[in-house]
Amino acid sequence: MRVSANYGELGMPHKKQKMKTKGQVKTQQMAFMLLAITLFFVLVGLFAMVFGFAGIKESATALEEKNALLLVTKLANSPEFSCGNSFGTGNLNCIDGDKVISLMKNINKYENFWSKGVSNIEIRVIYPEKQEKLCSLGNYPDCNIIRVMSGNVSGYSAENFVSLCRKESNAGEVYNKCELAKLMVSYNEQ
Amino acid sequence: MKKKGALEISFAWIFAVVIGAIILFIAIFASVKLIGIGETQMGAKAGKEIGILLNPLETGFESAKSVSFTMPVLSRIYGRCDNEGNFGRQLIEVSQQSFNKWTQTDLEVQFPNKYIFNEEYVEGKKFYVFSKPFNFPFKVADLIFLTSSEKEYCFVNAPEEIQREIKGISQKNMLVENCSLNSIKICFESDTGCLISVDYNGKSVQKSSEKVYFEDDALMYAAIFSDKEIYECQVQRLMKRVNELSKLYQDKISVISRSGCNSNLGPELDALSSLAKGVQSSANLGFALISTVKTIEEDNSYASECKLW
Repeated sequence: MRVSANYGELGMPHKKQKMKTKGQVKTQQMAFMLLAITLFFVLVGLFAMVFGFAGIKESATALEEKNALLLVTKLANSPEFSCGNSFGTGNLNCIDGDKVISLMKNINKYENFWSKGVSNIEIRVIYPEKQEKLCSLGNYPDCNIIRVMSGNVSGYSAENFVSLCRKESNAGEVYNKCELAKLMVSYNEQ
Repeated sequence: MKKKGALEISFAWIFAVVIGAIILFIAIFASVKLIGIGETQMGAKAGKEIGILLNPLETGFESAKSVSFTMPVLSRIYGRCDNEGNFGRQLIEVSQQSFNKWTQTDLEVQFPNKYIFNEEYVEGKKFYVFSKPFNFPFKVADLIFLTSSEKEYCFVNAPEEIQREIKGISQKNMLVENCSLNSIKICFESDTGCLISVDYNGKSVQKSSEKVYFEDDALMYAAIFSDKEIYECQVQRLMKRVNELSKLYQDKISVISRSGCNSNLGPELDALSSLAKGVQSSANLGFALISTVKTIEEDNSYASECKLW
């Protein structure tokens, strides 16, 4: 049996055209494949980065928490808060109420001074128990909450027990009065 | 007809090679960037951790305190000082060795309430941190002196109280006797082969051709362990805090006067505040400032029931 093929008038063009189309398809396949591989690696990279950055945020939060805990333990001994020798021989974890209430006047100067992100510093008298009353220069010492820094609290807090001391007088005689208080430091999560 | 010797590469191959090269370039670029970010992150984390580690060094009533910490790899701690703003700030940058190269990080962690005295950078794996309160005349801050275990400091002919203090803190790289040959000698009386000379009575420290002045023992250690530039900047920062604390104690006078406590320290504190504001270098810690500090100190100690600090 004789098989004949008709290539038309010019003989080869049909074959060439077929080959060209086949080549184009191959190139397109490769292009799609390369695109898919690129996309795959980009996605893997993005995934890895998201994980990596989540780690950074976690470690930053952990560091801030650690800082808050250590800060609250040493804040009472910093020169702006500590009693020094004003209430007898040096006391640790003793806050000078008279000094702290004076500090409130210029507290804007101390923004980010103790640590970046500290939004709230509060000293709350817990013993003897009284009705809650916020302190100001006007009503001090007839109050029990000294809010040294008052900002929004959206993060976490750390607290420590301290003695809050002040000068009082009775019949013209000056004496030291110390009460049990809680020092609270709050952070804003950034 | 095919030309003899001609290399026939199809378009598909050229396309694959070009795209492959682009993908490889992007991958390498991204990896290098990620390694850089990782190094910066590690440096920043180390800097922040060091700063946090220094928190317990805030002393209560102790005279001096020493602790040590070890880094996982050989590191350089750059402690810089910036005196801009109300209190200035302490900057810490950590560079770590990786594949025999020092990582370059431009990320500095800042602490406005810390005063670290060190050389341009302190290199090593184990570091010693020694702190001492600075009183002028009230407590201003705890000064922190950062040194590497790779450097040994030998205090030659130091006054009795300094020797006692150094022995007391027992920091392994600070010695008063049995010093090694490689140790950095700090001489208190003229001696040969000393890198640092301290004129304890004249209150100055000479390092090569540079001279700085100090007022008390805390500032003397600061001058010994730090570069002149860092020392002068930190002195200015300390004076800024003296200025603010003087104002705070002036405000306290009016608060305690309501309880019958009267203090006459107001004008002296005002004078101290303006003198401290004018300090531009340690050479300004002169007679006027020191005599004001001494007067305030005496007056406060006499105010038995109404001491301001």
